[in-house]
Amino acid sequence: MARFFFDTGDRDLVLQDEIGVECAGLEEVRRVGFEGLIDLTRDALKGVDGQKLFVEVRDENGDKVLRLSLSLQIKLMR
Amino acid sequence: MSPSSSSDILIRKLQTISDIREAEIAVLKSIPIQEKDFSANHDLVREGDHPVYSFVVLDGLIGSTKYTSEGKRQITSFFVGGDIPDLHGLHLSVMDCNFSTLTPARVGFMRHDVLRSICDQHPRIATAFWRSTLIDAAMYREWVTNVGRREAYTRMAHILCELIFRLRAVGRIQDHIADIPITQAALGDALGLSTVHVNRMLQELRREGLIATTGSRMHAIDWPGLTHAGDFDTTYLHQKNPAD
Repeated sequence: MARFFFDTGDRDLVLQDEIGVECAGLEEVRRVGFEGLIDLTRDALKGVDGQKLFVEVRDENGDKVLRLSLSLQIKLMR
Repeated sequence: MSPSSSSDILIRKLQTISDIREAEIAVLKSIPIQEKDFSANHDLVREGDHPVYSFVVLDGLIGSTKYTSEGKRQITSFFVGGDIPDLHGLHLSVMDCNFSTLTPARVGFMRHDVLRSICDQHPRIATAFWRSTLIDAAMYREWVTNVGRREAYTRMAHILCELIFRLRAVGRIQDHIADIPITQAALGDALGLSTVHVNRMLQELRREGLIATTGSRMHAIDWPGLTHAGDFDTTYLHQKNPAD
């Protein structure tokens, strides 16, 4: 088990994870990050075209491990 | 700071929610309480059990939990010192949820036959026990609302307010600083949130200057601000003389 830090945010504001989550490997880091992105989306997606949300994972040395992101496109069709 | 005997802890809690008098206190003191220590994450009672005891929490934090068929855990309520989480087992013979320690905990077991005969003979005690289970139900209603309808930030603030308020009510803490050594995973299971989002919400509460944390110590540095953020109104806890 190692501790990973999941920073979350959008273009305007990134919240640094100061607590971290113990994960058994990269597979788990990915699952935990994805679950975090779902919650972040539910909470922080504002219905603004082009909005981007992300979860970026650091290991204990501060090295970047993984980035999950999504962006919203809203296009009027008529 | 914490009351000395297990009877005192039980009596103090019942006094915060009901009108028990000297006569009843003497009877409550006579209940044999078998104390036992448990490490964190121990199931005290499991779904499907037919318990012949109910337990009073003497120290630590207990959660009532349910599992989905996929194995996902929902913590449906917290219980602190003085609470009798499975008191409904006195009347409902099959346990419909689990009670697990969320931190190292000490609990006291009381025999159902003893509690039953006391309730038969002392209506004020029966009423106090009834009130206790009614207030537990009120907390479950609040938690459904919290998990189902409040935003994650409000949800987190609410649960911290409830814990601190309840710990204060039974004299476990004097101020707005509580040692809450539960894992973020457990907080997530209580809030229906991922661990990553639990960390984010704690970070946001810190950033707003509402809480400060050192390890498992949680200090509500702006109590009015935290109760406002948490949409927290103490009515559902039905305390006789609520401290703010």
